[in-house]
Amino acid sequence: MKFVLLKFQRRLDSIIKTGRNRKAIGVGQILIIKNIKMDAQKVDMFIMTNGKFFEAHQMSMIRERLIAMDDSKWVMLSTTQFKDPTTTLIVSILAGTLGIDRFMIGDTGLGVGKLLTCGGLGIWAIIDWFMIQKATRDKNMQLIQQFLH
Amino acid sequence: MTLNRSKLYSFLFIACLVGYIWLYFSITRSNAGNIAAEVCLIKNISNIPCPSCGSTRSVVSLSHGDFIGALNLNPIGYLLAFILLVAPIWIIADAIMKSNSLFYCYKKTETYLRKPKFAIPLIFLLLFNWIWNITKGL
Repeated sequence: MKFVLLKFQRRLDSIIKTGRNRKAIGVGQILIIKNIKMDAQKVDMFIMTNGKFFEAHQMSMIRERLIAMDDSKWVMLSTTQFKDPTTTLIVSILAGTLGIDRFMIGDTGLGVGKLLTCGGLGIWAIIDWFMIQKATRDKNMQLIQQFLH
Repeated sequence: MTLNRSKLYSFLFIACLVGYIWLYFSITRSNAGNIAAEVCLIKNISNIPCPSCGSTRSVVSLSHGDFIGALNLNPIGYLLAFILLVAPIWIIADAIMKSNSLFYCYKKTETYLRKPKFAIPLIFLLLFNWIWNITKGL
């Protein structure tokens, strides 16, 4: 095993020295980085600080996937901005008739629909008071999916 | 709610259906001499009309053939009447031909609406319409 690794390292060194086959260098580096998994403590810290952005039943799956994820994605993940369900709820109560809550979470089409129809004749606006938090958490889940897979 | 093709189509179809029922009730009520019922939350709470207040009356006057009256009430009525007319036909055509042209069009419009060069002029148009609504006292 050690011999194979040494051979691989030598090959990489020779590629770097000669400057040929840059793609191979990239593949080699990714191979090395991929072996470093996420620290469980780090993941738990992430879960604690960002738990409110996701559905409770999704948390265990997110934790498992994050532990299996490679460490190179950590910087991207920790700087990702998730939408706060409480904020969208407040916006929904105050300006739901104008569809601003839907615009906030990125549902532009539905937001326009809500805006043009006076919040869906006022009915959709009231329904969204109860739906918007789940919709926000779903959007956050979509956002984190790109790191999990 | 993650919108996929079938969800968007059923949602739009139900919305159009509710729209037609609402329109039917508004037309029959306005014939009886009553003013269109106020369902708008903003109007009910603050007594200030919202940007789309008057669009029901606008569509009703469009159905009576009063195009200038509809424009004076609320120009959004034209847009709503267009969607009410086109959306059900498009949905049925897509369902028969098993294509997803409406879904594709919706997604494309969404990406365009997110761009500031389209979004900012539209927001200003809407704000002007809102100010006009307030001065008209709808």
